[in-house]
Amino acid sequence: MFDDGTGRLRRALVTMPQPDRGSRAVFYPSHQHWGVLGTAELTKSRRAAILALREFSGHPAPAKGGRVEVISDVPRGIGMGSSTSDVTATIRAVADYHGVALPREEVGRLAVMAERASDSIMIDDRVVLFAHREGVVLETLGHRLPSMIIVGCDTEPGARVDTVAFRPAEYDDREIGAFQVLRAALRRAIATDDVELVGRVATASARINERFLPKPQLAQLLELCRRYDGCGVQVAHSGTVAGIIFDPRRPAARENAQHCVSRIEEWGLVITAMIGVQPTWADLKASA
Amino acid sequence: MSIRTGFAEATEAYQLPRLIRLGPNLFAAAFTLMKMVPARFILRRAAQDGKLAPGTVIVETTSGTFGLALAMQAVHLDRRLILVSDPVIDERLYRRLTDLGAVVERVPAEAGQIAGGYQAARLHRLHEIMATEPATFCPRQYTNPDNPRSYATVAELFLEALGQVDCVIGPVGSGGSMCGTVGYLRSVLPECRAIGVDTHASVLFGHVDGKRELRGLGMSLMPENLDHRVFDHAHWCSAYAAYAATRELHQRHALFMGPTSGAAYLVARWWARVNPDALTVVMLPDEGHRYLDTVYDDEWLKANGHLEEPVPAEPTPLEHPRRPSSGWTSYGWARRTHDEVLALDPLPAGSGPADPAPARDSR
Repeated sequence: MFDDGTGRLRRALVTMPQPDRGSRAVFYPSHQHWGVLGTAELTKSRRAAILALREFSGHPAPAKGGRVEVISDVPRGIGMGSSTSDVTATIRAVADYHGVALPREEVGRLAVMAERASDSIMIDDRVVLFAHREGVVLETLGHRLPSMIIVGCDTEPGARVDTVAFRPAEYDDREIGAFQVLRAALRRAIATDDVELVGRVATASARINERFLPKPQLAQLLELCRRYDGCGVQVAHSGTVAGIIFDPRRPAARENAQHCVSRIEEWGLVITAMIGVQPTWADLKASA
Repeated sequence: MSIRTGFAEATEAYQLPRLIRLGPNLFAAAFTLMKMVPARFILRRAAQDGKLAPGTVIVETTSGTFGLALAMQAVHLDRRLILVSDPVIDERLYRRLTDLGAVVERVPAEAGQIAGGYQAARLHRLHEIMATEPATFCPRQYTNPDNPRSYATVAELFLEALGQVDCVIGPVGSGGSMCGTVGYLRSVLPECRAIGVDTHASVLFGHVDGKRELRGLGMSLMPENLDHRVFDHAHWCSAYAAYAATRELHQRHALFMGPTSGAAYLVARWWARVNPDALTVVMLPDEGHRYLDTVYDDEWLKANGHLEEPVPAEPTPLEHPRRPSSGWTSYGWARRTHDEVLALDPLPAGSGPADPAPARDSR
């Protein structure tokens, strides 16, 4: 919950991007029938396509309806933003059919209309504080997050959190004050490229979340983070995933991340993300 | 990613401190009027919640700057304000308050003699007013949780401007500024230390209530908003040391602050020197205008005996807050509750600075 500058409190979040995963949507227009067809799991994407079509009604060559197909490698139902990824790709596909590139904010607004709550992955040119139930950017926090190494895992394999049915957290005054402080810290972390501070903000946010959607392994993950020189632990606030953040500029950061992967796998948890853990092309070249 | 704009009203402009570097690892948070932070937050929130209808009178017991901050915000909100104060209220402050439209009631001088002193007499009069006025709103700075909560905005500033803060040092009154600011800072920086600065014979950190020389610091009643578990250390500072530090702050750093700020600076300057790796922020709550004829007047300092002793270079650690304390003393509070610390006293109850029995070392 954040003050939007006018004294009104609005629910908002900052999304941790997942550059190596995503969705690809194809929209097949139809002039024969209304409505948009698609598989059962694409309910939100179908709704998004209908909303997008409505946006373009009156535009030359409008389709009545169509069919949508999505291919995605984002794990579903664990808080990694799979549905927003699908919905965003779908809206862009419909826009593309009309020969239009929608502004990012407009995609955000349509996505929230389609799925009630969205991550801010469609705003991919900057870091934003995004009112995820209204589809509005409350603040641009900076150009991009610092480079980070992240080891992500599913803390409750098999459990699924339904974002739509999930009751929004009732934050108390103290927590709302803390969010205000976290927002300022994140502004600074982005402006000064400070992974350590991003990690601290993520950890603080994870601790606040414990009252609402506790992660059974948070204490263990924090301990792992401390032992392997990590910067903090981030968690999904409507999902079961959590990740340990490392600063790639610190010595042995990648090895430490690798150790954490092994430990987490020993606990029987599934690794969901390894961002920046693999050596880069530049590293390979340097070591050759 | 925003541009600077104008302030909506004077109280908004007054509330945030300026962060000013005083040394390699020491920053001052210099407020014009620190109490503006809770006063503005509490009154605006009350207005938002519909607790300040046009006929509602704001009432509060204060002889200090909280009243001034309330009076300023009451101007913006166009509400009546009644303040219950000591007979010894500063004449300049009194004029400023009444010019802002506040009604200032002074409890009789005899009230100072009864148990609880002026603070108890003021509370009593406050309740009388609340019983007679048809609609009142009392901000209750000593008990209202919105007081510490309002300092999230200060913690926000510290984090955005400095990123890392290892220690916050500040004078303690209601507990709001230190408990609020440090509490919020610790949501991101759990290891951040807190040092409370008080004066001898104030009840806040376990001293026995008694006569106090240093104005603006020290309490006879324990405020609910003071959460002792926030503090790593407590320091007690006498008037002459605080006054000397106030002048040094002005002469060396061109910061024109009041003596509570001076007391905090005395502790902060030493702490920052002995902890060169700790980024330290010292809270300086208000400016020196009211003290031009006293703290800033060498003749007055001399006539009142404040120049007789040299200012100690470092604090004298107390074995327990109940031991006799003078000059500049300190105690490792270690984030304990008030009761926990008092229970550590090996001496019989009643021993302490106000007790005529000679203090002895029990170990």
